[in-house]
Amino acid sequence: MTIMTASKEVGAVRPDYRHAYPLLIIVALGVTAALIVRHSLVPKSFGQYGFYRAAALDDEKARLSRHAGRAACAECHEDVVAVHARDAHGSVECETCHGVGGKHIKDNDSPMARAGAKDDCLVCHRLLDARPGSFPQVDWQKHYQFVGVKDNATACVRCHSGHEPLYLDQDLRKARLHPLIQECTSCHIGRTDQTLKKPDGHPQIFQCDYCHPDLAKSFAKVAHAGLRCTTCHLFVKENAFSGRIVRNTNPRFCLLCHRKADFKSDAGPPTIEWPEHIKDVSNDAPDPKRPCVTCHQAQIHDLYRKDAQHAM
Amino acid sequence: MNYVFPNELHVTWTVMIVLYPYITGLVAGAFIVSSLYHVFGQKELKPIARFSLASAFVFLLFATLPLLIHLGHPERAFNMMITPHFTSAMAGFGYIYSSYMILVALEIWFVMRGDFIARARERGPVAWFCRALILFNTDDTPATREADHRIVKFLAGLGIPLACTLHGYVGFLFGSIKANPWWATPLMFVIFIFSAIVSGISVLIFHYFVVSRINGWKIDFECVKSLGRYLWGFMMVAVALELMELLSLAYEQTEATDVLGHLIRTKLFVSYVILQFMLCSLVPFVLLGITALFKLRERTAYLLIWLSSCLLLLQVLLMRWNVVIGGQLVSKSMRGFTDYFPGIWEKEGLITAGVIFTLPFVLLYVFHRLVSLFPDAEKLPSIKPGA
Amino acid sequence: MPCDDRISRRQMLKRLAAGAPVALLVTVFPKLAFGVDRKPGEKRPLYAYAVDVSRCIGCCACMRACRSENDVPAGYFRTWVERFRVRGNGEVQVDVAATDDFVFKATPAEDVVKAFFVPKLCNHCEKSVCSQVCPVGASYESPEGVVLVDKKHCVGCGYCVQACPYGTRFIDPVSHTAGKCTLCYHRITRGELPACVLACPKGARMFGDLHDPKSHLSIFLRQRRYRVLKPEMGTHPKCYYTDLDLEVI
Repeated sequence: MTIMTASKEVGAVRPDYRHAYPLLIIVALGVTAALIVRHSLVPKSFGQYGFYRAAALDDEKARLSRHAGRAACAECHEDVVAVHARDAHGSVECETCHGVGGKHIKDNDSPMARAGAKDDCLVCHRLLDARPGSFPQVDWQKHYQFVGVKDNATACVRCHSGHEPLYLDQDLRKARLHPLIQECTSCHIGRTDQTLKKPDGHPQIFQCDYCHPDLAKSFAKVAHAGLRCTTCHLFVKENAFSGRIVRNTNPRFCLLCHRKADFKSDAGPPTIEWPEHIKDVSNDAPDPKRPCVTCHQAQIHDLYRKDAQHAM
Repeated sequence: MNYVFPNELHVTWTVMIVLYPYITGLVAGAFIVSSLYHVFGQKELKPIARFSLASAFVFLLFATLPLLIHLGHPERAFNMMITPHFTSAMAGFGYIYSSYMILVALEIWFVMRGDFIARARERGPVAWFCRALILFNTDDTPATREADHRIVKFLAGLGIPLACTLHGYVGFLFGSIKANPWWATPLMFVIFIFSAIVSGISVLIFHYFVVSRINGWKIDFECVKSLGRYLWGFMMVAVALELMELLSLAYEQTEATDVLGHLIRTKLFVSYVILQFMLCSLVPFVLLGITALFKLRERTAYLLIWLSSCLLLLQVLLMRWNVVIGGQLVSKSMRGFTDYFPGIWEKEGLITAGVIFTLPFVLLYVFHRLVSLFPDAEKLPSIKPGA
Repeated sequence: MPCDDRISRRQMLKRLAAGAPVALLVTVFPKLAFGVDRKPGEKRPLYAYAVDVSRCIGCCACMRACRSENDVPAGYFRTWVERFRVRGNGEVQVDVAATDDFVFKATPAEDVVKAFFVPKLCNHCEKSVCSQVCPVGASYESPEGVVLVDKKHCVGCGYCVQACPYGTRFIDPVSHTAGKCTLCYHRITRGELPACVLACPKGARMFGDLHDPKSHLSIFLRQRRYRVLKPEMGTHPKCYYTDLDLEVI
């Protein structure tokens, strides 16, 4: 190797660096040029707010919103939005079921989606581990069996309108505040079988009959006895201690179970033709909003008892 | 039971990122061997001093290739230097890499200037290339050689900390990720430097043996013995550090211990426990120990050292794999593991990795055709197969 | 004179040598400070997020809304909902509605004693590691405290994906840059709600301005006890969880 032989021989030889100068100058110039080029390539708005391109914020802001929000829907569909807002789905955005509205608002011919299949509803209402007990969930097979639905492909919206799932006759948000009602399953997840059979000695503060024993007792004798109180007295949890309770007397609510329909068999609850039924039983002008309980009180519970606290 | 965050199903850093620290490790290791000769005057390493410097250079040239292939936007790679965000361990990369590249190129220029001048005096395009390379200055006197020698010594000395920075920084890049329990250890920095040196020495031994065999050159026994001793020393430190990390992990019993223990026992059992530690660390440790401590026949010693170098090359590759891939297999939810194995033909797959790893050797051959990397190699007078 | 000159030069060099590390510390460390600081009373908003875990019903409307608002590629998530099921023997089963239709599997687990949903998203940390480790300044905190990615500057190295302790980042297979929750920056800067907050039917997801003491979020955080995810990471997340179980990390 050249170097080593050189170093061995010389030692006293004065090094001659002249040949290295051009190279070092080239390297120095190259590095300087690279640094200048680097400097000129830094994006213009870089560092305006921090170590980033400030223009990137504008890029991000420039994107169009796809979700319009229900206020935008209300501009044309005020009636639907108003009805929707007062029922149990009031907190559900229009676009959750109908898809994003940005395009439809600009171009009215562009259609919105219409979620109505059973699976669409089950996204929220399927009975699921971890879903809070206060939220309405359904084992759809049991439910269909109970109502007597013949075809399993039947859509939920055949009975429950997406906008008025329960046909409340009162705005949910204005309904009465009521102390918390817990369900057995809120505490006894996975162990309901044993404890539900023998609730002796259990503090019953969470159950309706603890405060309303007479109403509960009378209810036990009627045809609806198998139902929960909260099926008709809809309870919506508001916070950890209370919720709102709506006593529903809208005839259309009763008709959810009792209306005759081609998809229902006779196995379910007794059904009637509607609105023919109201004509049949009314002598004077038929009022389709007249509560069913006006005639059918005996099948619910004794509404005219003295201690019936929330008689109409 | 096995739960990973949904985005973690995609392993972001692929086999390319395994290859990148591996190649820079070879660079750092090979450079340090050349510096052992140029700076620390380890004369017995002379036969491979040039070769090691050239190896460092060619590996350095290709070190960024896997990164570029991996980047989502390789055309924006220079953003790393245009707007380096120095709060990031990665931001220094462009500048450290460039400085090191300049340094190694300069060192090569000064080491081989005499040979370039010799080639420049010939005819043909190669001669023209060499003439341009030496900037049309053919002064080759004892005085210029002395100058070259001094400059090389300076550059080689300066290169050691830079080589350690280049590679230690890669270790730091992983070791500083607090979100990943398998990576986050200050030891990572040191482990990477030592494993880099191990892999660098190994690749030199391996390659030296192979080219000598092919060309029928006499292998310098002192050189190889010395390399073998260095290799033994460095691999002991590297493996000891790796074991130390494992030990503190097992002993500290932090929240990560369970999930990492599970990782080692299942997902990495073969590549980490069996291959990296049992086969590729323990065996070379014993073999190199034998060659260093006992007087063996040359042929046996050669075989053992060469075998050890092969195993240690694999050890370091496996270590990179187990760090880079292993760390990404653990979910940050601490509840499960994902899976990864590169496809053969995909963009960041095994074929690409193979090609990337072959290219430096091809370039090294081209380099050797330009300027002999083994100027002192003696032909064995009576070369017979198996002699 | 030449002698004096030499001494002074030497002294200068010495001073330089001593001063360099100090200068380095002074110049480097302020730069190492990153993130957005809270300045109460300032007019500039500081956006944050809160999740009331007990309200989540696991409908995943948030995931659907996020996807349609932000074109998140299939198989990648800016937000997701985890389901935790704790069994009687203490074993915890976690799953996520990560399939295409974002619906949790209805198969009940055995002997579940406690179960709940936990929505997850980018925590928009005050000291976000992802912004710290971005080598090119493509990941950053906006003046409003939203952690964003500059898609025109990002090189797609994936370092931020590795650095995020919450697994909320990914490399977008379409743009080949880092993808993450932007808190719907394009919406919130127009006074709209983030898509996920808008879509949540139970009000489990909340969004608001921490600098405004009257904002819904500020009031919520004053009234409720909350915690953040992985506080030990030192990232100071701005996504606050109430009723969060110890099992959730």
